[in-house]
Amino acid sequence: MGTFAEIRPVESRFRFTRELMAGSIYRKYEKATRKFWDPKEFDYAEDARDWKRLTDSQREGILTITVRFEAGEQEVTDELLPTIAAAHALGRFDWVMFLSTFMLEEARHSEFFALWHDRVVGILEPAEKAAHWPLRDHTVDPSGRFQVGEPVYEGIPKYGKKLMDAVHSGDEAAIEGAFVQFVTLYNAWVEGVLTMPSYEIVVDTTEMWDALPTLRLGFRSILGDEGRHITFGTEACRLLIEKNPAYEALVHAVVDEYRGNAVGMLEYQRNVPGLDLDKYQRQKVRHYRNRCRELGITPDQTLIDQILDPTIDFVVGVEAG
Amino acid sequence: MKRWECLEAGCVFSVTKASDEDLVAAAQAHVRESHGSIELEEVILAGAKELGDGSH
Repeated sequence: MGTFAEIRPVESRFRFTRELMAGSIYRKYEKATRKFWDPKEFDYAEDARDWKRLTDSQREGILTITVRFEAGEQEVTDELLPTIAAAHALGRFDWVMFLSTFMLEEARHSEFFALWHDRVVGILEPAEKAAHWPLRDHTVDPSGRFQVGEPVYEGIPKYGKKLMDAVHSGDEAAIEGAFVQFVTLYNAWVEGVLTMPSYEIVVDTTEMWDALPTLRLGFRSILGDEGRHITFGTEACRLLIEKNPAYEALVHAVVDEYRGNAVGMLEYQRNVPGLDLDKYQRQKVRHYRNRCRELGITPDQTLIDQILDPTIDFVVGVEAG
Repeated sequence: MKRWECLEAGCVFSVTKASDEDLVAAAQAHVRESHGSIELEEVILAGAKELGDGSH
């Protein structure tokens, strides 16, 4: 049996440094702990009263969004673990600290939607929510050029497994590359571009209807958390790209894999009547350029052109060809 | 001093402020009034450029 010093030098048992505490990732951790909110403290009574006066089409329009959000938040809560393992393997204690708040926040978002569905709509069990799920294979590009994928339910688990395998291998470059791929898909592309219009659709819709103030409050509260998540991911990736510029190609490849999800508005984003969908489509360009600026990489101009191309539009419920 | 540039398609707006708080307020007001949209505080701060002496 070795001595304590032989098992692990005492100095290495401490992680805090002045550099860590002055860094922007630690600042995000501090902010997350300061800005704590609890969906159990929200008042759902007014939303429940509003729900009774909404029409069936209004209810269905908003439910197709909220059920996807609840499922998505649960999925990412469940799939975040590989990033924590990778941060540990890369010796980034500030990343581990921040990611601990990140996982808690994803769980809190899941809880918000579960509470809202239960207390406002009166649904809680999985089958009750599944009845409102818009089928993605009903969203098609009539030209057949673009496919709409499932980045949350197919891509994140796939890249999560790759990241965990890399962590188990102990190969630092493999961990870094897989981390860039996972975080690009999750933080930069899904959270940072594809989902952003949906937040604004819910905020705009509830303001237009002058209804569901707690749903709006929940979405605004979640957005505050998302800003930290997105910019953690892009900053961590930027640091790795600065270390090895070859990682930039991994970012573009992951985005390209799910390019089809950005070039048109998707089924669950098209169900609320009276919204200017072109506005949300245009915003995706700003979000994508923001992500590239944060990552320190060059945006793909063909993707920007496709997002803005009015001739590319999806239809729902019609088979391609 | 920090500068933030709006990256909405076709927009050339930029703003320079001495404090993070003022920069975030100005950028959020621009995005809300000009684009009917929301820009997140953390995103504004992450995209802002620190200006050196003489560059403003």
